[in-house]
Amino acid sequence: MSAIGSRARRSASFLRPGSGLLILPPTVWVLAVLVAPIVLIGLYSVNLKTNLLGVPTAFSTANWKDFLPPGPNPFWDRFKISMTITLVVSVVTVVAAYPLAYFLAFVAGKRRYALLMLLLAPFFTSYLLRVIAWQVILNNHGVINSLLWQLGLRPHGDGIPWLIYSKFSVGLVLFYSWVPFVAVPMFVVLDTMDRSLIEAAHDLGASRLTAFLRVTFPLSIPGVIAGFVFVLIPTTGEFITPLLVGGPSSFMFGNSIQSFFTDTPNWNYGAVLALWLVAIVLVMLLLFGRYLSTDLEDAST
Amino acid sequence: MTILEWDGYQAAGTKAQTYKTVVFGKDYTDEFGASGLAYSLIQNDSSAINSVRTGKKFDVLHPCAENFKDYVDGGFVQPWDTSLLPSFANLNPALVKGGQFNGQQYAIPWDWGYGSVIYRTDMVDPADATGWELFWNPKYKDRISMWNGATTNFEIAALKLGFPQMDNLTNDQLDQATQSLIEQKPLNKFLWASEYTNLQPALTNGDIWIAYSWQDQWVYGREHKPPIPFNFMQPTQGRLGWYCGFMLGKDTANYYHAHKYVESYINHAAALSLTNTFYYGSADATVKGSEIADQQVAKSLSIGDPNVLSDTSKVHLQSWEPNEVAVQTAWEKVTAA
Repeated sequence: MSAIGSRARRSASFLRPGSGLLILPPTVWVLAVLVAPIVLIGLYSVNLKTNLLGVPTAFSTANWKDFLPPGPNPFWDRFKISMTITLVVSVVTVVAAYPLAYFLAFVAGKRRYALLMLLLAPFFTSYLLRVIAWQVILNNHGVINSLLWQLGLRPHGDGIPWLIYSKFSVGLVLFYSWVPFVAVPMFVVLDTMDRSLIEAAHDLGASRLTAFLRVTFPLSIPGVIAGFVFVLIPTTGEFITPLLVGGPSSFMFGNSIQSFFTDTPNWNYGAVLALWLVAIVLVMLLLFGRYLSTDLEDAST
Repeated sequence: MTILEWDGYQAAGTKAQTYKTVVFGKDYTDEFGASGLAYSLIQNDSSAINSVRTGKKFDVLHPCAENFKDYVDGGFVQPWDTSLLPSFANLNPALVKGGQFNGQQYAIPWDWGYGSVIYRTDMVDPADATGWELFWNPKYKDRISMWNGATTNFEIAALKLGFPQMDNLTNDQLDQATQSLIEQKPLNKFLWASEYTNLQPALTNGDIWIAYSWQDQWVYGREHKPPIPFNFMQPTQGRLGWYCGFMLGKDTANYYHAHKYVESYINHAAALSLTNTFYYGSADATVKGSEIADQQVAKSLSIGDPNVLSDTSKVHLQSWEPNEVAVQTAWEKVTAA
């Protein structure tokens, strides 16, 4: 099925009498739980609403001006650091997950779905518990440092200083958390790929490496991008992992947002940060969104 | 009945209360059982008031004095009927007065104590341990942990910088304190959030040598087997002082139960149990020095005398901040920097 044919069929289905009503409940739902809160946050960000008792509301862009460049602002700096962490984690996760997906799709054979479930098994436990488990592994008296002490590789009591409460620990735990999810879309694309194209490449004299570089990998790019987006967007607003294994210098932008809404009475400034993050996520969705729909479909047909 | 409470203060007889010797709350749980009590833990003063501002419901709340006014002004609490609290007459008048607003008793004082620097005497050079500036000593980078409590950290910075009105900083002083805390931040291994799950293990196993704490950690170290070499500093600039009390939810459906509950905390035996467990002072003025188990600790902390809180040469009482929003926002800038 071609992408164009698919779209045309969907349009025709949508135009059938009465079927438009079917999208009414989800539309109302999206408006109520997604659009309305964003509008509300927007009102806070320009001081048309406030959570402070007795403080008058009046339209003001002061918080936006304070946050946005060119003026110096720690939240802007934190945003840049967070995006760097997010991009590094996303790239490293995709690079690590690709061989995993390839193995499942091309090598594991009939056992691939069982192995996929095994890969996902830890994710049946709470995300919070998994991050706390990493605390046990990484902390100064944790599994890794204790092992190094036992092996005599470090003096007893002297833990590796950057192993926990650092950007490294935040990146490591985020990497661990997202590898299986990133592997899934890549596995789907690789698993449904038309193998005859690879066979044709071999028949025409391509080596295994050439066939991979010229045929397999290009066809799997939609899955790679989907996996990249799968990790990029959620980690952009991440705050749990840095809160538990990050130190005071490795907090992410999401921590500032969370803190503004839970620890401080200044929702107006927190709303600016939150809305900025929503805008960034929307831009990313627009940039990558097309690869999540048509191209994935194309690749699998 | 829903209670917003600090960890460790749950009523005797509840599963959450692991200290076997405490008797505060026991009268209540003996009479009504523990199953009706639901605790929601307070992480810090700021998050407590903000959770209430955002709609968290409670029957009884245990905030500290610097936020009493916020709860009253916000209309989140109602006055107690002190005639339903037989032990109320025994409470220290100065602390009782601190809980009065508009001529009514909104807060029933219960506990008081100090905040200061706790440090490992086996790791920290005594010559360095003179005042709050120990938190800024680069020699101890990655061995320091300040609390993730915005207002407290600004009070500490203010004392270190020599600003006398630590809870009413001018804009310029606030900027200086912000800068000072930004300079201090990289020296922290982490900012502790939970006293029992973050701070205590790290101090005990030696990951952290210097931290902000209350005196209960010092007592914990003394009673630990083997004892942990802690000292609870008397900084040259003075310790922080605090007192807390119980407030009654405005819309509570458990009005009489709430009074029974609080009476089970402020009666003499319960107040003495608070002191003998955590070595915090109690608002009960009838507690005699001779009743306190460790006389040496009692004397060094003056816990038989809440009036020490007004001795500004030794203690700076944490109080309501008129510029709370500016301070909290500045703290967010510190954590983001």
